Amino acid sequence: MKNLTPLAQTYLDRFDAARRSLPGHASPAVTALRESGLARFKALDFPGRKVEEWRFTNLSPLTKGIEAMEAPATSLPVAEFKTPHVMTFINGRFSHANSALGELPKGLTLTSFASELDAGNSTLLESDAEDSRAVVALNTAFMEDGFVLTAAENTTLDTSILIRFVSLDGTADNARHMRNIIRLGKNATVTLLEEHAGADGHAYFANPVTDIALEEGARLNHYKFQAESNTAFHLATTDCEVPAGAHYENFSLSTGARLSRNEITTRITGDKALSSLNGAYLIRGHQHCDTTTITRHLVPENESKQVYKGILDDDAQGVFQGKIQIVPDAQKVSGDQLSRALLLSDRASVAVKPELEIHADDVKCSHGASSGELDEDALFYLQSRGIDGKTARKMLIDAFLADVLDEITDEAVRSFFAAITARWMEEV
Amino acid sequence: MLEIKDLHATVGDKEILKGINLTIKAGEIHAVMGPNGAGKSTLSYVLAGREGYEVTSGDVLYKGENLLDLSPDERACRGIFLAFQYPVEIPGVASATFLKTAYNAQRKFRGESEVDAMEFLKLVREKTKELDIKDDMLKRAVNVGFSGGEKKRNEVLQMSLLEPDLMLLDETDSGLDIDALKIAADGVNRLRSPERAGLIITHYQRLLDYIVPDFVHVLADGKIVKSGDKSLALELEEKGYAALSAA
Repeated sequence: MKNLTPLAQTYLDRFDAARRSLPGHASPAVTALRESGLARFKALDFPGRKVEEWRFTNLSPLTKGIEAMEAPATSLPVAEFKTPHVMTFINGRFSHANSALGELPKGLTLTSFASELDAGNSTLLESDAEDSRAVVALNTAFMEDGFVLTAAENTTLDTSILIRFVSLDGTADNARHMRNIIRLGKNATVTLLEEHAGADGHAYFANPVTDIALEEGARLNHYKFQAESNTAFHLATTDCEVPAGAHYENFSLSTGARLSRNEITTRITGDKALSSLNGAYLIRGHQHCDTTTITRHLVPENESKQVYKGILDDDAQGVFQGKIQIVPDAQKVSGDQLSRALLLSDRASVAVKPELEIHADDVKCSHGASSGELDEDALFYLQSRGIDGKTARKMLIDAFLADVLDEITDEAVRSFFAAITARWMEEV
Repeated sequence: MLEIKDLHATVGDKEILKGINLTIKAGEIHAVMGPNGAGKSTLSYVLAGREGYEVTSGDVLYKGENLLDLSPDERACRGIFLAFQYPVEIPGVASATFLKTAYNAQRKFRGESEVDAMEFLKLVREKTKELDIKDDMLKRAVNVGFSGGEKKRNEVLQMSLLEPDLMLLDETDSGLDIDALKIAADGVNRLRSPERAGLIITHYQRLLDYIVPDFVHVLADGKIVKSGDKSLALELEEKGYAALSAA
């Protein structure tokens, strides 16, 4: 048998001790689930670069083992995004003291996943036993907390819910296997913003897995701000089922982590359903940011859209892999995908792999990918009117990002993200 | 205002300007004419400070200062304006934002207070009316989807707004029909004053019917080969550049 990667081996070694303290340890069903996850992870290990889906993202800096770094623990930063509904996780555990869940409307519940496991509620994870993705299997074995959001039929929440995952140190186990569950009933509408953050200098591995199921006509605006520590690893996996008349909107803004991957799979299972996946990544230094989407049109008459934009400075590396699958008989489907990258340094690079697997003939699909530098002609034109070089660059970068930020329906989140991108550009 | 002394400049490895001498005093309009490839546009880019246009020897003094030490934006703030032969399209940047940013950058440089959006809009509306430019252009991205004529008119609008001391016009007449040409010329003529000067680069004499120059120079192979008054332009129109080069 081949040797496991050093990090995978440490997980196998510590599983027996860990599971006795992980949530749900008293429940035989939860225990069985964890064991199945561990068995699958052991068989899979972390994906190497020979695995096609991971060809462009080399996990060896992670899998050789994370070294805890000597960085002082920090205190919880104040949330910049203002909303009355806040749920906070500190170092991978729900913090009641830093959450505000009192004002949620009737029909909407938001609980900690750990408490669900402790109550033996493993039914939330039915599909998990057959998942063949290594990071998901690892998460199943070690999942420790996360949020569980349910909305009853016709429940509408007008203000956003903020979920904060904050790492305050990079010591001890230095991994966060968060498991999040979202279930929206018929015609329910919810807006959710996840913040994943950690102070620079802390090394840890965040491995969140989010499982979403919408019922007919439901709408989820799902936003994510990934601002992990510049020495952290962040591998996120999100799955969403979008049935008839439902609308899933996802926007991920990534500025953090040494190495990150945001993998989203949507299964479109009804007519008039819409999957809208968008995002922006702004990276510099030696950051690596991977966006991988899999959009599966499983029935006729629905739609998917994707717009991703990246700005890369210094030695940063970006990856975009977008797969659109249209099964036979899924006619009258439309799928659009666009990926653009702006390289601010000649050492920065981006790898792009669009994949269209179309097995129906009456469909409308498009994909586009481009990468390039700032337009020197435009820069000179702005400067020739008296605008200084730095401001001119910022105007052009702003212009590059503007239309992708416009994809964000929620105004408050859009202006929050615009403020973050503006701050990032201050350092260009 | 502007003194160009024995200016040599290269683009890439190629020497384009081979010793230009030209003095422009306040109140004067000079026209530089010449065949394609003579170095006309290179001269305008060198004066505006474009990267990649390298001055290998010679001097350019602007208001007594060494112009070549200044960045393009510093030159603009000190009153140099280049109307581009090919105005650049900038998707995602609204014309109004661009104009206001430029206008305020120049005010700030002069130590004047910046104007707010309302004030600016009022000002720019006056100018668009004068130049017969539709207001909706302000909402569109800079030059994106503009016709050739609209782009040139937009250049003149910017110039009217920024009120430069030294106007550089690079083939502003190309791509303009006669009505647009008149409007553009009108924009330049409005700015003519004893304190301002202009350098008009053109291939054809046509524009000079409307913007009457004080001096006309012929640029060929990187050098000024002949200078005269406005009658030189007419002579060139009649005989062509070839006759002149042969002479």
